[in-house]
Amino acid sequence: MKFHTVEIEERRELGAYTLLSYRWPGEKVEPGRFVMARAAGCPVTLDPFLARPFSFYDFEDGAASLLFEVRGRGTALLDRATETIEVTAPLGRGFEIDVSGGRAALLGGGIGVAPLKILVRELAARGIAHDVFLGFLDNRTVAVAADFPGATVATMDGSAGTHGTVLDAAPDLTAYPTVYACGPNAMLAAVKDAAGPEGLRQLSVEERMGCGNGSCNGCVVPVDGGYVRSCVEGPVFRAEALAW
Amino acid sequence: MVVRERATGVDLSVELCGITLSTPLVPASGTLAKEALGEVDGVYGAILPKTTTPAARVGNPPPRVAETPAGMVNSIGLQNPGVERFMEDLDAFDLGVPIFVSVAGETVRDFAALCERVSGDGRVAAIELNLSCPNVEHGGLTFCAGPAAVEDVVAACRAAAPTKPLFAKLTHEGVVGNARAAESAGADALTVMNTIPALTIDAKRRSVLVRGGLSGPAVKPIALKAVHDVARTVRVPILGGGGVTSGVDVAEFMLAGATVVQVGTASFVRDPGEILAEFSAYLREAGMGAAELTGALR
Repeated sequence: MKFHTVEIEERRELGAYTLLSYRWPGEKVEPGRFVMARAAGCPVTLDPFLARPFSFYDFEDGAASLLFEVRGRGTALLDRATETIEVTAPLGRGFEIDVSGGRAALLGGGIGVAPLKILVRELAARGIAHDVFLGFLDNRTVAVAADFPGATVATMDGSAGTHGTVLDAAPDLTAYPTVYACGPNAMLAAVKDAAGPEGLRQLSVEERMGCGNGSCNGCVVPVDGGYVRSCVEGPVFRAEALAW
Repeated sequence: MVVRERATGVDLSVELCGITLSTPLVPASGTLAKEALGEVDGVYGAILPKTTTPAARVGNPPPRVAETPAGMVNSIGLQNPGVERFMEDLDAFDLGVPIFVSVAGETVRDFAALCERVSGDGRVAAIELNLSCPNVEHGGLTFCAGPAAVEDVVAACRAAAPTKPLFAKLTHEGVVGNARAAESAGADALTVMNTIPALTIDAKRRSVLVRGGLSGPAVKPIALKAVHDVARTVRVPILGGGGVTSGVDVAEFMLAGATVVQVGTASFVRDPGEILAEFSAYLREAGMGAAELTGALR
């Protein structure tokens, strides 16, 4: 896997999350795709050994950004990076956008809001009407919601918006021709149920990954008859394809 | 490849069982997807796709991988579409270099049938026997459980594929005795070594995370010793590997006695082309060609 050293453009704290943007001179970043990223020098120290997968949060004027929460050593080192980080080129299969698809509902849970920012940008650019619903644990994680003007918010501890899950804050999803969601698997399974089988339902999964290019077969999700790799066949899947 | 050699002024080619490889690097089985082939054009001297089995295997449920210090533990479960689909798809792995096919079965008969099936195909330059899977006829011990088990399966495969170069892939445990057995049963080369049985635990959830095989730089010294020990025991060539992450690592495995060096887990975190470039630089400084390096410990 090829990694590129890229310059950090900006680092911002959004409550419990970090927003890190970097100069990306390569191919255009499409909503729903991801990169493997790590702090510069990791392959020399060999610990942590693997890079981490991140959905693109946004892409504007040659700057790509990632949204993450510090969960372990890999993200802690990324969080401390000041000048450069190392990233792959954009990977995976992103969101399908259907310009004739009608109104879209976007649902994000926790750090799963990450791919929705760039998706909102793309939908707006194409004149596709959409509603955004974001669910968080508490008042530390909800801070990023300020970056989504007009979004409906829910928190599990009731510190902001609806007291409950993102689905508690959303209206009847079956009324939406298009539904996009990203978050923990339990949330995605609930969205799949709530949205019903009609229309375009796309789920972006969050899986641990080894390589990011299909080689290690580590990041699989269940489909009828077996497993597929979320890094190559996903991370965005049609809801009906996933055997949840 | 020729361009690369001219550019570096270094002879990277090696000879393995009568097959000329443009570089001594070969992917370890199960670490190179066809989607990633574009990144390694001109880097590997042969391509070695993920192990194939008689019937399709869905593989193990996730989690399948866990990061460890300087490495990772994986438990994929040989997910693959089965040998027939695999052979239909084999052209996808054609980068203009030889293709080595890795096979695994649950019985000696499975292995022999696979060898017969793939050896008849002109696109297959050699067969690697993945002997670290469970032998269902022997209570789930692997085909690498001891010299008798190794000899049985290698002899059956030899008879099933009498003319195709046959590599026996061995685990580090008991590797010297197993290497001797594989050689006497007719293996043309030995792949040393496979991942090391390992376990990771999620303390927070108080549960097993992944029970599988450890790979990556953490295992390198163990693999080097295995290659070194085997090289002093057998006459057949060795495909060495285990934690190879840099060009100097490649040189170390060749010095220990490997003719060809397998790159696996490192390809998830590095561009294998950089490893080859580092190896070329090593050779240039040493004033040696790749083929001269095998066993050239002072």
